[in-house]
Amino acid sequence: MQAVLPGLAAVDFWSLPQQVVNGVLLGAIYALIALGYTMVYGILRLINFAHGEVFMLGAYVALFVSWKLGYSPEAMMAGPMPSNILNLVLMLVASMVVCAVVGVVIEFFAYRPMRNQPRIASLITAIGVSLLLQYGGALFLPVSPPPAIREEVNPFPGAFKVWIRQPQEPLKSQFLLAEREFEASQQALREEQYKLRTGETDPTKLLAKQAEVDAALARFSPLDQQVQKASTRVILPHGLVIMLCTSLLLMLLLRWLVMKTKIGRAMRAVSHDFDSAALMGVNVKTVVVVTFLIGSALAGAGAMMYATFQNLTISTFFGVQPGLKAFVAAVLGGIGNVPGAVLGGLLMGVAEQLVSWVGLTAYRDAVAFVILIVVLLVRPGGLLGSSKVEKV
Amino acid sequence: MKFWLVRLASIAVAVGLCFFVTGWAKGVLTDYGYTLVVLSGLYVTLAVSLNLINGITGQFSIGHAGFYMVGAYTSAILTQRLYAQQSLGPEMWTVAMALAGAVTAAIAGFVVGLPSLRLRGDYLAIVTLGFGEIIRIIVQNQEALGGSYGIEAKMTPSVDSAPWVWMLAVLCIAVCRNLLKSAHGLPFLAVREDEVASAAMGVDVTKVKVTAFVVGSMFAGAAGGLFAPFISFITPDTFRMDQSFIILTMVVLGGTGSITGSVVAAVALFGIPEYLRLLKDPSTGQALTLSGATVAAVFLAVGLMVWGMRTVGANVHGSSSRRLLPNLGVLGGAGIVGWLLSLALSNVPQLAASRYDMNLLRMVIFAMALIVLMLLRPQGIFAHHEFSWAGVGRLFKRQPQGAPA
Repeated sequence: MQAVLPGLAAVDFWSLPQQVVNGVLLGAIYALIALGYTMVYGILRLINFAHGEVFMLGAYVALFVSWKLGYSPEAMMAGPMPSNILNLVLMLVASMVVCAVVGVVIEFFAYRPMRNQPRIASLITAIGVSLLLQYGGALFLPVSPPPAIREEVNPFPGAFKVWIRQPQEPLKSQFLLAEREFEASQQALREEQYKLRTGETDPTKLLAKQAEVDAALARFSPLDQQVQKASTRVILPHGLVIMLCTSLLLMLLLRWLVMKTKIGRAMRAVSHDFDSAALMGVNVKTVVVVTFLIGSALAGAGAMMYATFQNLTISTFFGVQPGLKAFVAAVLGGIGNVPGAVLGGLLMGVAEQLVSWVGLTAYRDAVAFVILIVVLLVRPGGLLGSSKVEKV
Repeated sequence: MKFWLVRLASIAVAVGLCFFVTGWAKGVLTDYGYTLVVLSGLYVTLAVSLNLINGITGQFSIGHAGFYMVGAYTSAILTQRLYAQQSLGPEMWTVAMALAGAVTAAIAGFVVGLPSLRLRGDYLAIVTLGFGEIIRIIVQNQEALGGSYGIEAKMTPSVDSAPWVWMLAVLCIAVCRNLLKSAHGLPFLAVREDEVASAAMGVDVTKVKVTAFVVGSMFAGAAGGLFAPFISFITPDTFRMDQSFIILTMVVLGGTGSITGSVVAAVALFGIPEYLRLLKDPSTGQALTLSGATVAAVFLAVGLMVWGMRTVGANVHGSSSRRLLPNLGVLGGAGIVGWLLSLALSNVPQLAASRYDMNLLRMVIFAMALIVLMLLRPQGIFAHHEFSWAGVGRLFKRQPQGAPA
């Protein structure tokens, strides 16, 4: 057992809640991408391999918008700049709109002409589109050095902190006081830096603020070390909370759209039986377009939040791993099943974090498939899906 | 008697051809060109063996690189550890490595084939894909297997792999072709056409599916077994998911179920990117670069061509010869438009200034070719047809006038 799980002896079980929280946050993004896979599959029985690349384009759109808003590396030379929630909303909307358009364009050029052909043919065009965007994107998108969205774009640098296990009383209040002082000094330094652009500040003022931060940190870090040993706190950065809430909101919106609107009813009908729905007067073309529109917009939203709040570097292969994980999540939940995709995404995110937590970080990309194979052997149709005989 | 004489003669001719053609290629080609001959032989084996699983038996497998990897690592480890002590001689060692790779990959194929009894269609596809990824990630994290750095499998004295590689390819083609032509192959086709109906007619579906997986992965493993000693250094990255996709693409592009198609598509799809890599600028002798204007013009022209040819296909009915002239017209028209566009676009300063070299562009062209070919010929180059001498004869015969199409 020791050989199989090398890190288990050293695992700190008190860090489990934090890992689960991180897993849920990651899983929310997987779920957003998985929704796109599962919706397209539900309607067309097509594995849209280009979905991960739509996600990648979404991250680039968010990056470009943030550059236009003044957070480009060149503009940041002049000093940091305060951000607000409007910037985030602009980036989110731009990503969603561009991704929706790209998704519909891909459908029009690569999938629609293949509608009456064997499904494997459209699978190959999907692979082709995916390769085209990965390698073709590198021709005109910035790739080296790999860009990342500046963390200054996030206007909420703080974090929610929840005690799981509290430290002793005098220590706790001392610690909280020191922490508050440290964070306040950091905030003060940041605000001083914002004045760099207008020239209202000078290096001596900045240095003084920096010294204050250093002093506060010197008081804070020994206390922090003591507290670390005796207590547990779950830390939830504000940005990630926004990410989670937005994802949940979008999922609820989708749920409402699918269950309560006319187009949603049409989508369910087409997903149930493509040909009969067409015979019953459902405009199948519109349904397919709307499906790609929504699925891609969700991927765009996921990409913007993933790239912004996790501060990841972006390349044209940005979508490959999340795309694959999300696809696995969709199959895990039962492909074609909307709640299944969300469930699968969350499971996938949590499982991945837990595998890293027990010290098997190297295997975190494999665990997705292991879970998938185990689940499919028990339930061949996925967790929430149904299984029926079909021909390839 | 005559049957066996024909068999023996064709085996002798095939083996002779393998040695003769590769020997000739070694004399004529550069080292690099010769490497391509060997690798294309491996891809032919991979594509045809995947075709057995995907095209002939109808099981949707997209993790073929996993079996290839199992075979390659088996032979790499054996070669690294035992090659110095062995007394088989390099030629027999090569054959032994192909066999070893085949055996381990067949075991892996059996294990992966088992879920195929329960899973269907896309679910099976994702499980096979997952199998390939799991194998790769495990190997990547085993220090004994070289980890992500890779493993050396050098054979000194080395051996000329090409005839063996091509003999494997011929063997694979022969097995699949004979299976298709014989009564033993009918259950495979029946399972592809309708699993439930074939089970009702008494076909042992389980046996057929597992056999297809075992035989298909066996050949992939044998190809891996020859690949590792030939290339002498393998890394897990060689066997990424993309590799599986490329093999799958060869099968579909050639025509699912057509062995001839797999062979042609394997050589073409492997050859095109390598050919593009070699292109040189005639004026400078440097690697060829294209301006943004040319790239954009070519893309637009290709789009126009696809649209035109699809329009012709939809509107001109009857035999394919009636579509030939309009299609040639579309091709010429698209060419002229592309040329004019490249002239016009070169006035756009941004497009004219940017230059891309072929190494960047070759995967783009590859992806473009994939999409265009699928749009124009979704059933694959050969569809379900096979090469035969009678078919070649028919090509040169005039069609009788007024015959039903």
